[in-house]
Amino acid sequence: MKNDNIHHAEAAAAFLQDREQARWHDSAIWWVRQKRDMQAKQLPEWEQLRELAQQIKAHTLSRLDDYLLQFQANAEKNGVTVHWAADADEHNRIVHGILAAGGVKKLVKSKSMLTEECGLNPYLEQHGIEVIDTDLGERIVQLRQEPPSHIVMPAIHLKKEQISELFHRELGTEAGNNDPTYLTHAARANLREHFLTADAGLTGVNFAIAETGGVVVCTNEGNADLGTALPPIHIASMGLEKIIPRLEHLGVFTRLLARSAIGSPITTYTSHFHRARPGGQMHIVIVDNGRSDILGNDDFYQSLRCIRCGACMNTCPVYRRSTGHSYSYIIPGPIGSTLGPSRDIKKHGSMAFACTTCGSCSNVCPVKINLHEQLVLQRKRAFDAGTLKPAKKMGLLAMRFLTQHPSLMDGGGKVMRKVVPIVPESLTRHSAWSRPGRALPEMPEQSFKEMWQARQKDKKA
Amino acid sequence: MSSQAKILARLRQNRPQGPALPDIDAVPFITFDDKFDAFRTLVRNLGGDAVQLADGDSVLSVVQQRWPQHGRLVDLTVAGHEESPSPHAWHDVDVAIVPGELAVAESAAVWVSHADNQWRSIYFLTQKLVLVVPRDAIVDTMRDAYRRIAIREQGFGGFISGSSRTADIEQSLVMGAHGAMAALVIFV
Repeated sequence: MKNDNIHHAEAAAAFLQDREQARWHDSAIWWVRQKRDMQAKQLPEWEQLRELAQQIKAHTLSRLDDYLLQFQANAEKNGVTVHWAADADEHNRIVHGILAAGGVKKLVKSKSMLTEECGLNPYLEQHGIEVIDTDLGERIVQLRQEPPSHIVMPAIHLKKEQISELFHRELGTEAGNNDPTYLTHAARANLREHFLTADAGLTGVNFAIAETGGVVVCTNEGNADLGTALPPIHIASMGLEKIIPRLEHLGVFTRLLARSAIGSPITTYTSHFHRARPGGQMHIVIVDNGRSDILGNDDFYQSLRCIRCGACMNTCPVYRRSTGHSYSYIIPGPIGSTLGPSRDIKKHGSMAFACTTCGSCSNVCPVKINLHEQLVLQRKRAFDAGTLKPAKKMGLLAMRFLTQHPSLMDGGGKVMRKVVPIVPESLTRHSAWSRPGRALPEMPEQSFKEMWQARQKDKKA
Repeated sequence: MSSQAKILARLRQNRPQGPALPDIDAVPFITFDDKFDAFRTLVRNLGGDAVQLADGDSVLSVVQQRWPQHGRLVDLTVAGHEESPSPHAWHDVDVAIVPGELAVAESAAVWVSHADNQWRSIYFLTQKLVLVVPRDAIVDTMRDAYRRIAIREQGFGGFISGSSRTADIEQSLVMGAHGAMAALVIFV
């Protein structure tokens, strides 16, 4: 679970203390963005594909209740038990009820941001159930007792030396052996034992197909498959926005998901689950937990189109330079910065400002969510809700006053352009402008307004 | 009121406007001149390989040439194949030869949903996965694939592309995360 008191700017400043680690984080994630670009460029139809995905999702959101009922009816026809959870607490109680009825002592889980959102792991552990996260990155952060810092690459904030040390302590690997292959295969051997001895498996859901009543789970590791093929109980937890109308629509979404997420044409495994394995039982828990409220908000409902690829965080200049741990909501980056504030603006107000409004997130989003526009609107809500730190609030109020008094703004700009170049270094040494990478910009001769007016005059002449 | 009724009522009340479903066939998607070549080039980058079976050669001999020292081998492509008493009992399989119904050139994925298989665990427990696909069963894109597939196996079907992999440690790509360490697709 994440500490709700995280303030983005403060947490980011702490992360940036280690310049080398911060630079590595930035470039490692930028590389994933570049791989995404290479994949997108190989498909002449890329932009049309995004358009199709947007339309399918927008259509589905306009009839979500119908499609969910159709999905439930078809899933029940297949012998699957469907549960509905209004909130996180009800979700956790349902899951625990299924596990308790089955006498489950050990649960293996594949990646599910929804269960992070619901705080399922601590809930089950309090009830005496051993929970093993099986995605390698998720297992690493579970052993470190910290939340994932990215929705697709949960341990991207860590260096291999830290993981080596962790595995030496927890799994008994050789001290000082930092080889990623060695460490991965050590985790493989350890987790195989857990797969073979688990009593139940829980997965997230990438897509739920109304037409067939089945769910689709995409992984590169194969952990969702082992976790559902071996134990007799499979529980799939899904946010209610995961629904798509027809099987054929996967011919659009499976082309976009992995290309956008990690720059691969597809994930290794794209598995379609319609029944439990022979002799087993399958349950699907459909979770609302605030989603139906977001649906009713004209400004923010489009965020429910999200397919959780993470492309928006990989491209975000703020995310790359601050890590997911600097965001108070469990989902970081641009999409988290609208979902979190939609859920609770008082807790997550600072996330709305973790944005330069550059708009890159909206341009890479495979379902074309207007992310940067939503973040601007969330800023207004954060201000109105009184979540801003006094200095930031005063700054914004002063700026508002200035923009409402043009002559004052013009005069202030003139003074600034003259004074800043002659300010002695001793005065700026301890200001925000003295931090690494934040050099004071050169002052131009004219303001934008003056340049604009001169240009218009030239045109007329 | 049940949670289901409450949630559905709120969804109904909060319905936004939305477009009609688009015709996903209206847009031309990429095509490949040589689908096998596109498939093979891609799968080699994804921890796998692809070959076309030569006249007079057999799947088994290709497998044995590739891995002469292999351990327990299970071949699900033959009628009356070996069965397992439980999904767990496949845990020591070294090579599994399984039928693939359809291959996709753009993603190097193979659709697996075998009507004559009880436990799908074998696909993921085996150390080396061999997928046997009819030579003419290869399409350009995932859209074409979804037109042709069916769920035949105990409610399960999956696309498998290359070998199991992860980059969760410092973005270093490692083959063999949880599933097969190697994948070989044989077109027959």
